[in-house]
Amino acid sequence: MKIIKKLVIAFVLIYLITLGLVYVDVYDSRPIVSLFKNFQSDSSLDIVDFSVENKKSERPKPAPNKNRNPYYGDLHVHTKYSFDAYVFGVTASPDDAYKYAKGEGIKHPLGYEMKLREPLDFYSVTDHGFYMGMIQAYADTSTEISQNDFAEPFHNINRLENLTVESAGQRSNIFSSVLGATIIQPYPDWHPKLLMAYLTRNTQLALKSFDYDIHKSAWADIARSANEHNDPGHFTTFIGYEFTTSTDIEGGNLHRNVIFNSSEASIRPWTRIDSTNPEDLWTWQDRLREKGVDTIAMPHNSNGSNGQMFEMETFKGNAISKEYADKRMRNEPIVEITQVKGTSETHPLLSPDDEWADFEIMDVRVGSRPPTYSKPSGSYVREAYLSGLTLDFTKQGNPYKFGLIGSSDTHTGAGAFDENNYWSKVGLLDGDPENRGSVPLAEENIDRLTEYMQAFNQPLSTVDLEQGTYANTGFTQWGASGLAVAWAEENTRESIFNAFRRKETFATTGTRIAVRFFGGYDLSSIDLNSDSLVSESYQKGVTMGADLMQDDDKIPEFIVWAKKDKNGAPLQRVQIVKGWIDSNSGRPKEKVFDVACSDGNEVDPVTNRCPDNGAKVNISDCSITDNVGSSELKTLWKDPEFSSLDKSFYYVRVLENPTCRWSTWDAINRGYQPREDLHETIQERAWTSPIWYIPNASDVDVIPLGGTIQLRTID
Amino acid sequence: MKYKIFIFFIIGILLYVIDIGLNSYDEKEIYISDQEIISLVSAWKSQVGRNPTDDEIVRIINNLVEEEILYREALNLGLDQDDKIIKRRLAQKISFLKQESIVDNPSNNELLDYFNNNKDKYFVEPTFTFTHYYFSNDNDALERSNEAINQISNNLDVSSDPFFLGKNFVDVSLNSIKSDFGENFATYFNNFKINEWSGPVESAYGYHIILVINSHDGYYPDITMVLKQVEIDLLQSKRDKAVSEYLDNIKSEYKIYINPNLQI
Repeated sequence: MKIIKKLVIAFVLIYLITLGLVYVDVYDSRPIVSLFKNFQSDSSLDIVDFSVENKKSERPKPAPNKNRNPYYGDLHVHTKYSFDAYVFGVTASPDDAYKYAKGEGIKHPLGYEMKLREPLDFYSVTDHGFYMGMIQAYADTSTEISQNDFAEPFHNINRLENLTVESAGQRSNIFSSVLGATIIQPYPDWHPKLLMAYLTRNTQLALKSFDYDIHKSAWADIARSANEHNDPGHFTTFIGYEFTTSTDIEGGNLHRNVIFNSSEASIRPWTRIDSTNPEDLWTWQDRLREKGVDTIAMPHNSNGSNGQMFEMETFKGNAISKEYADKRMRNEPIVEITQVKGTSETHPLLSPDDEWADFEIMDVRVGSRPPTYSKPSGSYVREAYLSGLTLDFTKQGNPYKFGLIGSSDTHTGAGAFDENNYWSKVGLLDGDPENRGSVPLAEENIDRLTEYMQAFNQPLSTVDLEQGTYANTGFTQWGASGLAVAWAEENTRESIFNAFRRKETFATTGTRIAVRFFGGYDLSSIDLNSDSLVSESYQKGVTMGADLMQDDDKIPEFIVWAKKDKNGAPLQRVQIVKGWIDSNSGRPKEKVFDVACSDGNEVDPVTNRCPDNGAKVNISDCSITDNVGSSELKTLWKDPEFSSLDKSFYYVRVLENPTCRWSTWDAINRGYQPREDLHETIQERAWTSPIWYIPNASDVDVIPLGGTIQLRTID
Repeated sequence: MKYKIFIFFIIGILLYVIDIGLNSYDEKEIYISDQEIISLVSAWKSQVGRNPTDDEIVRIINNLVEEEILYREALNLGLDQDDKIIKRRLAQKISFLKQESIVDNPSNNELLDYFNNNKDKYFVEPTFTFTHYYFSNDNDALERSNEAINQISNNLDVSSDPFFLGKNFVDVSLNSIKSDFGENFATYFNNFKINEWSGPVESAYGYHIILVINSHDGYYPDITMVLKQVEIDLLQSKRDKAVSEYLDNIKSEYKIYINPNLQI
């Protein structure tokens, strides 16, 4: 008896001491118990090969093209495994999502069919890593975890009978309050699960509402589905997820998608529960890379980041160093410039001289309720390129030397890319024109919407305009965008992933424009009308995403070649956007040059603008002017204001003739005039990754007054 | 003879009366089975995390009784008639039952049947190797392409435009031709000439003079080559079709009358 008593006491004592040490280790950064760290394993670094049994596809793989083909895809797709998508009524699985991308029709939560006009070449299901798969398990009343109090509001929410527009209020409420703090309750400090969480570096285990097995099986299903649908030569998939982090200040969105380069991936996604600091994500990616698994992360919705995505300092407020810049670029070579929740190229306040800057602007922080303004500076891509040059100027490295892609961020498994076939992205909340605010509300729906928006913590739920009362849901700032395009030798995982790494990519607003872009010093020797134009350009120059090094005083030349979407509107103009640091003043500057005009028009050398080509849209039926605009535009351009000392970047923007915006289509299809406070038309467009001009290293030191920039390494 | 039939008739009536007598069904009596109580108690337990007290058990049973009484009174009043909510709820209940009754692991025969019925899904598309001269819509496409076909037949040099996606296409499928050139252009490959320049063929971007060098016919693969995919597709289709098949089967048992003269 005594021995047992002693054993029990000894066990309790050892347990308490262990907890004490863990406590010190977690809350005290001094290396008192660093020895203890040796007992920790890291579950996030376990690699699993999710590959499926060889399918022996009979379809022959087309020969690779050394001049590369443009492959169109979407790298930002949510399904039922995302905590929020499930609440929005989405029951589409990753399998459904991939089927959709290959051209099959799938069902919207409201019952109608969603189908692409043309299949895509690649697709990645990127569900939120945070609480992946959990909400679905809460809803399924046969699971053990659904029997807990916190799971009750989710019970059966997506049974067919509950998929109604009327349920939107309850859903918004769940989304904004229940999903927040209430379900994330840690176990008490003494609980063995806490010790377990510490020993496997897996904080999630310490949460009552978390079931690791369910989480892992959702992730495994996502990986299985990606591998099952991958068809080398014909259709490419990537195992992926979204790292949904933010700053401590509400709505400082720092979301990133992560995709894997092969059929192998970690046993679980690294999520915001592991750390909210993106630098820790990059450390994790670096470690995976050491183990032979390459990943890239792609930030998105910088527009809703309240200036936090492209800051001049780190997440913790330290100075950016060359190490930071290298690490960021190693892990985040591309950025999503456009998606349903607005376009992040630039903002009218940041680029007052750019007539096309006011394009699909979403001016609030992501998910903020009530809607809260997002500060433009630090939130847009063009300014980030300039900030990168400035940081480089002060010898801190350039952390913003990224390429560009677009994607949808759909939460229904199916991206909506066409203005005249649009279902927005959050399922039951914006799946019909009344709720997304493009047509007036029916009398009986006004009360319902008011109730629904109150649940969503948005006091002003409607707005009275000439034609009636409209929903003021914020969805009017969203749009039918965008696509990621990779220039790759063939449609395989390896080839397309390498294109992302090279940044040989461009983004479109959903249209299938294609654009080539080369820079060099001897491109004028190439005949623009020769069949060897592309192969010669690759030989003599660099392409989008690359660096063009200084060559004495030679002036860079650029070749741009754009072609229209065969189902879309003709092209209106091609522009080159230049940004640079004036080496005399140190000021960042930007300028937009039209370089090719439709219909054989010439660019005015003084204003750098094309003349109006006269293309119009008839708002009563959305028809566009016939025979105006070009099916392709091609030119050689030399920078007329070039200075060989200035660090610069050049990227291409291709503009289509104007067409109706989705909100106009919604209205006229239902017999209304377009809503008066929205843009009636848009100009679909594409942006390439920049080519950076790199002047020879200068030996001038930049010494700020007061010395606030503290750098660990300068070279 | 007549009497014998009459005797059977009387026996029938007697049996009916006896049956009523033995199983007298009183609308005001409620029987609650042990099973019902046990399942309710265990549901309560799993929700709350402990066994219910005696008081609570009484309450559970009272609730059940009251629910049953209200249900019967509602039926008496005919409240179940023509109630859309009840109709839909029942309809959904049976569709869930049907969806959930799908068993995994299809048999070989099932797989073979599915494969044979959906052969087109697994059809390996024909592929083509071709080269072309391109004449841009922005630059007298039709006129120049007509000129070009004459020049070719007279062995003269042709001056064409570079095509955005290149000049030579090797082993490309019809779908990828559609996506690169447009539907219209792809129809040429339904009836193409091999090793002979032909055109002009119109695409979304202009006109083309085409030379098909090689082609591989499409074919149906053996099931063993695509077995895994067939299995995946079969399970998916079974889930999708469970309800609609059930409905199709049962539909024939109903006669449906709709007023053909209804004006809406």
